[in-house]
Amino acid sequence: MSDAQRPASGATLGDRDEEPVLSLTDVEVHFEEQQGIIESFREEPEVVQAVNGVSLDIFDQDVVTLVGESGCGKTTLGKTCIGLQQPTAGTVEYRGTDIWEAKRGNTEVPFDEIRQSLQIIHQDPGASLNPNRRIIDILAEPIKQVHPTLGSGERRERIYALLERVGMNPAADFADRYPHQLSGGEQQRVALGRALLMNPDVILADEAISALDVSLRVEMMDLMLELQEEFDTSYVFISHDLSNARYFSEHGGGRIGVMYLGQIAEIGAANRMITDPHHPYTNVLRWATPDLGLDAERAGEPPMRKIDVPDPVNPPSGCRFHTRCPEAREACVTDEPDLYEVEGVEQATACFRELDDHQYWDSPELED
Amino acid sequence: MATDQQSHFTTDDPIVEVRNLKVTYDDGDTFVLDDVSMDIERREILGVVGESGSGKSMFASAMLDAIPDPGLLSGKVLYHGGDGETIDVLELNQEELNQFRWEEISMVFQGAMSSFNPTMKVGNHFRETLKAHDKNVADGMAFARELLEDLYLDPERVLDSYSHELSGGMQQRALIALSIVLEPEVLVMDEPTAALDLLMQRSILMLLKDLQEKYDLTMVFITHDLPLVASLASRMGVMYAFQMIEIGPRDEVIGDAGHPYTRALLNATPNLDAPLEEMKPIEGQSPAPINVPDGCSYHPRCPLADDQCVREDPQFYTVSEGHGAACHHWEEAQDTIRLNFESASETGGDSDVAADGGTLPGDAVADRDGGHDATDFVGGSDGGDSQ
Repeated sequence: MSDAQRPASGATLGDRDEEPVLSLTDVEVHFEEQQGIIESFREEPEVVQAVNGVSLDIFDQDVVTLVGESGCGKTTLGKTCIGLQQPTAGTVEYRGTDIWEAKRGNTEVPFDEIRQSLQIIHQDPGASLNPNRRIIDILAEPIKQVHPTLGSGERRERIYALLERVGMNPAADFADRYPHQLSGGEQQRVALGRALLMNPDVILADEAISALDVSLRVEMMDLMLELQEEFDTSYVFISHDLSNARYFSEHGGGRIGVMYLGQIAEIGAANRMITDPHHPYTNVLRWATPDLGLDAERAGEPPMRKIDVPDPVNPPSGCRFHTRCPEAREACVTDEPDLYEVEGVEQATACFRELDDHQYWDSPELED
Repeated sequence: MATDQQSHFTTDDPIVEVRNLKVTYDDGDTFVLDDVSMDIERREILGVVGESGSGKSMFASAMLDAIPDPGLLSGKVLYHGGDGETIDVLELNQEELNQFRWEEISMVFQGAMSSFNPTMKVGNHFRETLKAHDKNVADGMAFARELLEDLYLDPERVLDSYSHELSGGMQQRALIALSIVLEPEVLVMDEPTAALDLLMQRSILMLLKDLQEKYDLTMVFITHDLPLVASLASRMGVMYAFQMIEIGPRDEVIGDAGHPYTRALLNATPNLDAPLEEMKPIEGQSPAPINVPDGCSYHPRCPLADDQCVREDPQFYTVSEGHGAACHHWEEAQDTIRLNFESASETGGDSDVAADGGTLPGDAVADRDGGHDATDFVGGSDGGDSQ
């Protein structure tokens, strides 16, 4: 059985024939910490490894949800996907064109066209909408860019149609308001509408529903998925909450990727990740997700050895999760796991326990 | 039903009794807390749940006589301390109140980052707090170190750090330690974990539970995150439109809720176990303080609403012992509004098994569809004009 489990070249799961919209290969993003002038003569700056060797393909009408703790690199990876963050190493390709080569003007496809196809919705919609402009002016901007020849009457019609489509009736009333006159949910709808008006291929939704009340989240996610088909777009959805990730990815027929200290610990079809997680860290996230069921076990001890995340400046050797992992053995301290595909299903996990013949099984357990 | 009005919100050994608590602005025209009465039982963990703008933070502030100006507070808050003495909180003068707030009832707010003075080491916050309350600093600091260790922190490192040198989760835990260093009886927490990721939230909740048992604390945990608090609380109160609309033991409120709003809220909450197609948003919007509907404030969004609900603001009805719901039709609500996670837990307690149990008994499907149609109808007639 184990011979079928080969190291996956990346996070490209399933044998899809189609060309990906976005293709990330061995992407690394490192940040140098700021130093004072005296320090800069004395020592090298500390480097935070925000993303470390991630490969990921995103297809047409795809949904990929990235989950993980604060500081795991999910936002940095998301921004790298849509060309907002330049990788330190590795490549990001948009339909076969290297985004950062395009930025230097070395490709046929112009950079502006690529940037236009990759949009973002932020966590705080209030801060992402210009407070001094009315909704109609905010939404007119992308239309002017995409359709410069359109008259103002037609523009207005399109904006009204869009507002109605995102559930803001009567549109004429909402169009004349300023952002502060809208509720958080309505602001987020405007931000989503603004992104869709650019006809993007991929939208990065960075904790886009986290600021909304729990009771409004389902509604917003439903709307995003409905509009996905109409506008033919893909989502990279970032969340720290596994139950939101499940709802969004499973409804959208997509994947969930679990990140830990800059790496993908496990990725797979949404229902696989929820019902049968193979990585001990995915299991920790499952524990962290509250359960409404009455028989369900109340918050017991967490399935990990330490509560706090290690310092990303000095990530642990070997498997980065070994300092907290309940299953860790000596082999995890020295060897770094690849992503191993789980046989027969759309799932890959970066844990030696996936390999029947790995030396992990013979090595002694770690003691704190 | 009027005869046992009291029994839902009273308990055997209350540490705090809240009676007819109201907060108004604009000379009494605008209610932001509307006649809340309930007991807080000694050594319980009470979860108070509500959406943004439901009045849940105002409830906490009012209990400590700390509402923002120019609000008007009326009603009664009685505190029964460990020594058998009863304090009428709203009658205290400013100096007494300052002592009371840290030593008897202590409070933790959302966003630990803004609670610490950035120019002062964390340890100094502990020392200053102890000094301000005339406590023995050496003893107090020894207790602080113990508390920090209970919270899985390295006491020396944390006390010697400025707050910005700690992660959000560490700051929040240090703040919890600070809030109980004077050994209060009651700890009130308003969204204490909202700025943190879910894993840290759950870890903190687990630690809070340990603290509560170790130090015999009474806890009030206020949040919009229903599933989160449901994993910690022993009793829960649900707020809607500035009123407490349901109170009861945790299992009763989650599994046998009588108020249609509670049931809708449960069904609107993303979780790992319920079948996806049964998670439904609540139609319409919560009312703003200036135009709370007459009668039952939930009636414009409620699938069960009738003439009585429009005319008459419901009192608490007894659902079972210690469990009350402010709904004229609570029995009908229990029968017709199905809870989506039930179908999952019916297939077995193990959530791994339950998660793929998506099939429902036929009659349950019919019930759910009926309820949903009605919701659509009501929502369509009153949606989206609350601004």
